Amino acid sequence: MSDEPLLSVRDLEVVFHTERERIHAVDGVTFEIREGQTVGLVGESGSGKSVTARSILGLVDEPGRIEGGEILYRGEDLTEDNWADHRGDIAIVFQDPTNSLNPVYTIGNQIEEALRIHQDLRGRAATDRAIELLEDVGIPDAPRRVDEYPHQLSGGMAQRAVIAMALACDPDLLVCDEPTTALDVTIQAQILDLLAELQAEQDLAILFITHDMGVIEDATDWVNVIYAGEVVERAPTEALFDHPAHPYTRALLESIPGRTDPDERLPTIEGEVPTPTGPATDCRFAPRCPEAFEDCRSVAPEHVSLDGDRSAACLLHDPARSDGGERQ
Amino acid sequence: MSRLRYIAKRVALSVPVVWLGTTMTWAIIYLGPIDPATRLLSEGQTQNPAAYEAARTQLGLDQPPLQHYFDWMGSLLTFDLGQTWLLYQGSDVNALILDFLPRTLWLGFWSVLIAVCIGVPLGFYAGMRSNTASDYVASMGGIVWRAMPNFWLGIMLLAVLGSSQAIFGFDWQSLWIELDALTGSPDLSRLHTVEGFLAATKKVLPAAIVLGSASMGNEMRIGRTAVLEVRNEDYVDLARAKGVSERALVWKHIFRNALIPLVPIITSEAFLLIGGSVLVETVFSINGIGLLFFNAATQGDLPLVGTLMYVFILLIVGVNLLQDVLYTVIDPRVGLEGA
Repeated sequence: MSDEPLLSVRDLEVVFHTERERIHAVDGVTFEIREGQTVGLVGESGSGKSVTARSILGLVDEPGRIEGGEILYRGEDLTEDNWADHRGDIAIVFQDPTNSLNPVYTIGNQIEEALRIHQDLRGRAATDRAIELLEDVGIPDAPRRVDEYPHQLSGGMAQRAVIAMALACDPDLLVCDEPTTALDVTIQAQILDLLAELQAEQDLAILFITHDMGVIEDATDWVNVIYAGEVVERAPTEALFDHPAHPYTRALLESIPGRTDPDERLPTIEGEVPTPTGPATDCRFAPRCPEAFEDCRSVAPEHVSLDGDRSAACLLHDPARSDGGERQ
Repeated sequence: MSRLRYIAKRVALSVPVVWLGTTMTWAIIYLGPIDPATRLLSEGQTQNPAAYEAARTQLGLDQPPLQHYFDWMGSLLTFDLGQTWLLYQGSDVNALILDFLPRTLWLGFWSVLIAVCIGVPLGFYAGMRSNTASDYVASMGGIVWRAMPNFWLGIMLLAVLGSSQAIFGFDWQSLWIELDALTGSPDLSRLHTVEGFLAATKKVLPAAIVLGSASMGNEMRIGRTAVLEVRNEDYVDLARAKGVSERALVWKHIFRNALIPLVPIITSEAFLLIGGSVLVETVFSINGIGLLFFNAATQGDLPLVGTLMYVFILLIVGVNLLQDVLYTVIDPRVGLEGA
């Protein structure tokens, strides 16, 4: 792992200014993606994962602002307003395909727009390439579909068209923000297969953002677990599923159907993600944590390196604080 | 289905609307509490049975009602509108409408155009810069325009223009093109010449601004909301991520989508403006169809009221058709099939 990462997010801080308070939606998120790698960002609703995704693309709207940290793309900091120079290098796929396509232009028009900007293709050549791309993402009858409007496509087909549009930018990194959440389960699997296929063919790096642990297990090489704007655990996917180090990760895994005894009630995590309004002074998961002890409510945990490259931000793994030492 | 067939279908569907509207008009006028025949009689004739019978015969009211209804509908459909009985007594109604309607359409045309050309861009501007000082100024302006009553604004505008020499240091009446008077009907006979066009335009301009003021404010408010909504759509973010320039983002991706909610607003405002405004036409002494309708109604020339109703119904159905066509041009989701 000596080579430079494709994308490196360091201590990212995104703050939303409301009339009453400052909401730290993303509070010191750090992670990396290497070329061709699939990295997962997993967390509950409101944990800051989508804001992280939008930050990478420079799409955070007012009243949100990136107030700290770096987003390094091939070593260049995008937060210094460099997004315009790297448009197309990073593409994004949103959750709801029906909102991702402009309803008043044809699919072809929108793909060709990207082809014109990034590959300098126009006219017939652009249309032909757009049809090829639609075929690549598995849209049947592509020559006819290219002239259709978004509302004429089903959700699954529309998401394929969005992926085709992303590919038209010829990206190195594809950010997928819950790309399958709005789709039927069978279509979900197809889209995941398609992404895996495209990745193998084109050596694409993918940042996969989801709340679905099952998707993470299937699709990613490396996982970052995010909670209330902070990454609480990072680990290779397999290691994370085998030995979750953070109590939050453990709780998430336990709430996946099928992993526990089918006769027992499926465990849930009581409570909800807090809205961080100031710098962390404690462990934000402590109120919901079954293993919390006194220090958890007064000390903000730092990441502790564990075996391999993995780490977790939990006092249970801090030998100085926890009597138990490492639990695994 | 082709666009032409879609339009043909829309036209066909508007036939029952016109029929229903005219039938209701007929019923209100001829089956209503006011006897149209007595209204035609002068003070001295009211006690004269022979004169009353003559008036009934002239109006065709001596026939059975159904027969009268068919005759009346038939003459409307063929635009055989007869002559007036009371107002401009004895003049040809066709000629009267052709004389009065163009002035109102001219006024309506400019008030729609001014409202659209100022209100929509201002609203879009405010929407693109939401919650900034310039947005607040534009939005406040929109509310103020919206709130000013026509009759008041008209009189104020006339007062200011009348003494423009003292207030602004130039005389509005003689500015650029000499006008014969500040108010009055525009001369539409010389529209094909540049000078005639400008003179007719300048003449209705103050009235058009007053008439369009409320719509301008409305369109500004709706335009602002529409842009704000579209700006936050995922597809705009996705286009930005794709590398689309800010200018293309605004004009290609935002503008056309923001127009969709504006179309029905603009056309429904157009009903009001083309239908003419009695108040504005009175204040500016423009002999338009709104004024004619008002006079016909207050003086009891019920046959003329009925005929003018028919003209208004046709205008409204026409604008409605235009709206349907505009929809299909702007928004591909408006199905040509399901219509």
